[in-house]
Amino acid sequence: MDAKKIWHLIRFLITAVAMYAVWLLFSASFQPYSLIAGLIGSLLISALTYQEFIAEHEASLGSFMPRPIQLIVFLFILMFYLYQSSIKMLGAVFHGRVNPRIVHFRTRLRSDLARMVLSNSITLTPGTITLDLNDDHLTVHWFFCNTSHAKVAGEAVKGRMEQHLKRVWL
Amino acid sequence: MIEIGRNIFALIAFGSAVIFGIGGIIGLFRFPDAYSRLQAGALCGTTAVISIFIGSLILAPTWAIAARIILLLFFFLVSSPTGAHIVARFAWNSDIQPWRPADQRRTGSDDRSKE
Amino acid sequence: MRLAMLEFMQWFLVLCSIGCLIRLILGPRGADRLVALNVLSGVALGFLVLRGVQLGQVLYLDVALVYDIFGFLGFLAIARFLKDKLADQEDES
Repeated sequence: MDAKKIWHLIRFLITAVAMYAVWLLFSASFQPYSLIAGLIGSLLISALTYQEFIAEHEASLGSFMPRPIQLIVFLFILMFYLYQSSIKMLGAVFHGRVNPRIVHFRTRLRSDLARMVLSNSITLTPGTITLDLNDDHLTVHWFFCNTSHAKVAGEAVKGRMEQHLKRVWL
Repeated sequence: MIEIGRNIFALIAFGSAVIFGIGGIIGLFRFPDAYSRLQAGALCGTTAVISIFIGSLILAPTWAIAARIILLLFFFLVSSPTGAHIVARFAWNSDIQPWRPADQRRTGSDDRSKE
Repeated sequence: MRLAMLEFMQWFLVLCSIGCLIRLILGPRGADRLVALNVLSGVALGFLVLRGVQLGQVLYLDVALVYDIFGFLGFLAIARFLKDKLADQEDES
């Protein structure tokens, strides 16, 4: 067996395990009929679709497998930032002093999944919405803009989020 | 005793949900263009719904309901910004200019520049 | 106390959805209507969860889970449809 076949097998197994976990979560019953039906279904679907689930050109396991403890910590930090920025947004709704502006900047994260999570979380948090994500180039609509310099704006928007994400996905 | 504590925490969560919900609805009507409305509506709406989830999680009668609410919370943290991003991307691709305050209008260069 | 809070939150969400519907009808362009629809989907999700907790039935939460995961596919379809329509109008004019 050469390296390529092993890589195919690993991707197939990860897809099947993920499918089976989702089946267990949704069906929430441990009768033998449901367990066997879920196993057959998840094997069949993952044989058909594992090429799309994990792309061939992914570098290694480390680029898409998060570290579980760090991921949970990140989710709690995200909830905290969500409440903080929402209180700021409430102030803006009532006094109306805002300065919306489009800014462009780059990110240092490498894997596609981490970039997707970064753009999702900057859509959630400090009054910003990701308009476009093109390789490592982000276009962001920022609600409380105070600078137009790309690097300063990037640091202000990404903030500590990128540091936390680096710990989750390498 | 435990019942009273649960009620108090649920009251706090639902109270913050009411405040953020009212803020989101006012934001939907107050701002002048689609991007700003999306900012206010999506951010305050997401926070209000998450507060409602936390309140329901405290009041949940059985463990099956509580586990499903936790799952819903994590999926909502993924799906809500995705929905907001789809709407923002539609507005961006259909050439809608972002609104600017009156004193800022001539300072910056082109916002909607196609490279 | 508990039932009263759940009942009150449901009525509050009904008021929120009425506000979103007004924006949905008023909105001058397609993007404004999509914004209102986005908020409305979150409101519907919160309503389903409150109803399920009030009646103590798991079925409502299953419906909410599926609605949560596949909700944004609806936005994708509507956005694609509106974009096609805009392109057609530009071709005609």
